[in-house]
Amino acid sequence: MKEMSAMNVEHVLTTCPYCGTGCNFFLQVVDDRLIGVVPCKTDEISRGQLCIKGYNAHAFVQHPDRLKTPLVREHGELKQTSWEAALDLLAGEIKRIKEKYGPDSIAFLASAKCTNEENYLFQKLARAAVQTNNVDHCARLCHASTVTGLLYSFGSGAMTNTIPEFENADCIFVTGSNTLEAHPIIGARMLKALDRGAKIIVIDPRDTPLSRLAHIKLSQRPGSDIAWINGMIKVIIDEGLVDQDFVKTRTTDFDKLKDVVKDATPEKVESITGIKPAELAEVARVYAKADRAMIAYAMGVTQHSNGTNIVEALANLAMVTGHIGSESNGLNPLRGQCNVQGSCDSGGLPNLFPGYQRVDDEKARAKFEQAWDVKLPAKPGLTLTCAIKEAAVGKLKAMVIFGENIMMSDPDLGHVEDAIKELELLAVIDIFPTETSKFAHIVLPAACYAEKDGTFTNTDRAVRLIRKAVNPPGDAWPDWKIACELGKRLGAKGFDFSSPAEVMAEMATVTPIYGGIDHDRLDREVLRWPCPSKDHKGTRILHTQKFTKGLGTFAPVDHAPPAETPSDEYPFILTTGRNLFQYHTGTMTRRSSKLEREAPEPYVEMNKGDAKRLGISEGDRVSVSSRRGTINLKARVTERIIPGSIFIPFHYAEAAANRLTNAALDPESKIPEFKVCAADVQKG
Amino acid sequence: MREEHGNVAPVMIAKGEDPGDVRTDVPYQLMTILSNLYPWMSDGKKIAVLTRRCDEKALAEIFKRGYFDRARIVQIGLACSKEQIAACRCSDPVPSTVDIGEPHAGVGSDALSEKLMNMSSEERLRFWIYQFRKCNKCFACTANCPVCFCDECVLEERTFVPERGVPPGMSFHLIRAYHLADKCIECGECERSCPAGIPLLTFRKLVAKDFRDMYKFSPGDDKNVSPLLTTLEGEALEGDECNEC
Repeated sequence: MKEMSAMNVEHVLTTCPYCGTGCNFFLQVVDDRLIGVVPCKTDEISRGQLCIKGYNAHAFVQHPDRLKTPLVREHGELKQTSWEAALDLLAGEIKRIKEKYGPDSIAFLASAKCTNEENYLFQKLARAAVQTNNVDHCARLCHASTVTGLLYSFGSGAMTNTIPEFENADCIFVTGSNTLEAHPIIGARMLKALDRGAKIIVIDPRDTPLSRLAHIKLSQRPGSDIAWINGMIKVIIDEGLVDQDFVKTRTTDFDKLKDVVKDATPEKVESITGIKPAELAEVARVYAKADRAMIAYAMGVTQHSNGTNIVEALANLAMVTGHIGSESNGLNPLRGQCNVQGSCDSGGLPNLFPGYQRVDDEKARAKFEQAWDVKLPAKPGLTLTCAIKEAAVGKLKAMVIFGENIMMSDPDLGHVEDAIKELELLAVIDIFPTETSKFAHIVLPAACYAEKDGTFTNTDRAVRLIRKAVNPPGDAWPDWKIACELGKRLGAKGFDFSSPAEVMAEMATVTPIYGGIDHDRLDREVLRWPCPSKDHKGTRILHTQKFTKGLGTFAPVDHAPPAETPSDEYPFILTTGRNLFQYHTGTMTRRSSKLEREAPEPYVEMNKGDAKRLGISEGDRVSVSSRRGTINLKARVTERIIPGSIFIPFHYAEAAANRLTNAALDPESKIPEFKVCAADVQKG
Repeated sequence: MREEHGNVAPVMIAKGEDPGDVRTDVPYQLMTILSNLYPWMSDGKKIAVLTRRCDEKALAEIFKRGYFDRARIVQIGLACSKEQIAACRCSDPVPSTVDIGEPHAGVGSDALSEKLMNMSSEERLRFWIYQFRKCNKCFACTANCPVCFCDECVLEERTFVPERGVPPGMSFHLIRAYHLADKCIECGECERSCPAGIPLLTFRKLVAKDFRDMYKFSPGDDKNVSPLLTTLEGEALEGDECNEC
């Protein structure tokens, strides 16, 4: 028996709430107070190592700003109320709007910050309780083009390898990923490979901490990726470096690819990308000749109005050299949020049920109708980006947002603001007041990762438990409980869950790739999907014998210019991204004193030569404008970005980069072009 | 430490509680973990802690500065395994009292130290410049260090370490080296927790060697000697303060 008077000191093993690496650590708790983070030395992925965000992952949890009671807007102001009253009102409004305008006038946003179990419930709420497929989340803004692109090329839109494998690669090819800042512990594996003598190649318009250590670093003009990728493939074909055997036995449509890349001559590629032919040829040779070569990419590839095509071009590159489907050989999209892989897996997407089963596939729909005992809609729903457009024209009437901050994260915020003001119902469920909750009619306080149980699926498909360490503040509830209570109030069946483990048990029965996954197993072992049965050990490497879809498909994609190109009025290319110390819309990191101390204010990086020409010095206040808006911030003058391009991190509400960005969408994946828009910089 | 969830976890076991599957073979830095907890453990009860030889030295430094009440701490001496001794290149691995494990002799040398000392100073500088360029400013080396105890860390002071810069530059590491010179007990936790794989323990060992050779000083002895760099107590600075800055 434990002595009753003893202080309760615990080390609770859980999964980091920041990027998609999925590091495990212990939260140190004394009598329900969260006091620190201790890395977990035996964790396969993090090995007792964390980045600065991980070490500070406790700091925001018990911050005084946390939402603690349900709030309902009355006479223009948010007033405290009870859960009963708030949920009754929310359910009543959803029913009213559904009756008046139909189920497709309502959209749900799931969340890459919530657990798999919660996302499963969010999509079930939309599909089974409201009868709409209008459910989406911020994967639309980060890797939607990976999901569409890799589904076409390989049949599965996830990392083909695991994080530890980076350490044993001979060549690591990184493009559009600032790995050491955005995925530091994956970057750490790359550094281990570097120490071993592996070649690191980085292609990026900006210098990054990793590119400064790379063997070869090339800078392309933003928006020119397919040109240099096709240029590389042409070199590989012309110099006889194609893995003929792989191409013959494992792929299809190689002739179509050959046909399209034959025009990617060195001169043409240089004129589009700014990359010198000899340097590109060298990169092609190093990559093609390596025994074990891994590509890693992220938002620099995906966030373009032809993002799907760029992803497919990279898939072509991996297949043409046979660098896929074996140990330390593959194509690896690095996912940016703790559970963005999982929120896609759990069906938080308008066209896909859990486990990437299509809503317009009759067989799949029949299965879910039987499992949930309800008729389901066949028409794919609205994407997040399209939902905003529909709200602006009055077609969408209600949005229920679980843990997303669209008034910071979406492109062209002026348009988003106009759109959400048109809504008859905006409900926001979150852990802090956000730029989005300011506009909400109903705000519900949620528990954060440290206050609930569940699972996150990291970027290498490992399903990892999060464990409750402390109680939520005030009256805050875990999102799964909020979803269940809302489902019941909407009169739906199948929302009687008493724990996240029960939700996962149901999800596993309808999601083949999670078929063998349950919380008991996850408590003992690391499992990566596909894990179809209880005796299956999970899958480390995808596409080993054949591609998920059978034969890998070469997509004959060609360069197309970005939606906006520089003009006399807007002569710069603006590209957006992150820094090491802040995370996304800053809701958590800006309330963590050590992180905020490191990167407290917004800035625009611009090239020395450009700055000199405009009479701008380091630290000057400047205004940056695009066709959509203007923000004021400090200039950082640097040689780390190519002339003609500027960079702004999107973390800062006081100078939100997304006031400027372009909502031009990739036609297939509907991802916006965050990485390229035309902009102007003025001093003062 | 205890086996839990397929991992090994640091645990605090209350009197009378079933200790479960206790493990002693994973090198958690228990003094750092206890330092985090200590200010919150206000019940004044005794705390027993698994103590390797390096932990014993860390405790000596902690006691010297009055951070823990000596009377509350009970040490359970742990003799490190041969493998751990080799991994730490540890020359002094046996605690004063061995309660758990078999004592093994220390190893006399650190291969990397020797290799570096055989290089020219330019080569050595190049080596360290490369190593420090990998630094990603996670602060693991300070967060996990059992003898980093300043309330206000100079590495978080903008005058010395500019905000945001990654990598943070040589000065970050040199300031840290200087600050730890009279208290680092060579436990190696900085090196183990460094995601960039910077050989920080070797760096520490080289500084410690200079301190031994030049000042005959080694941190972590249990006699109550004042720390070398901070012998200010009772010696007022009146009249001697620098007026130039």
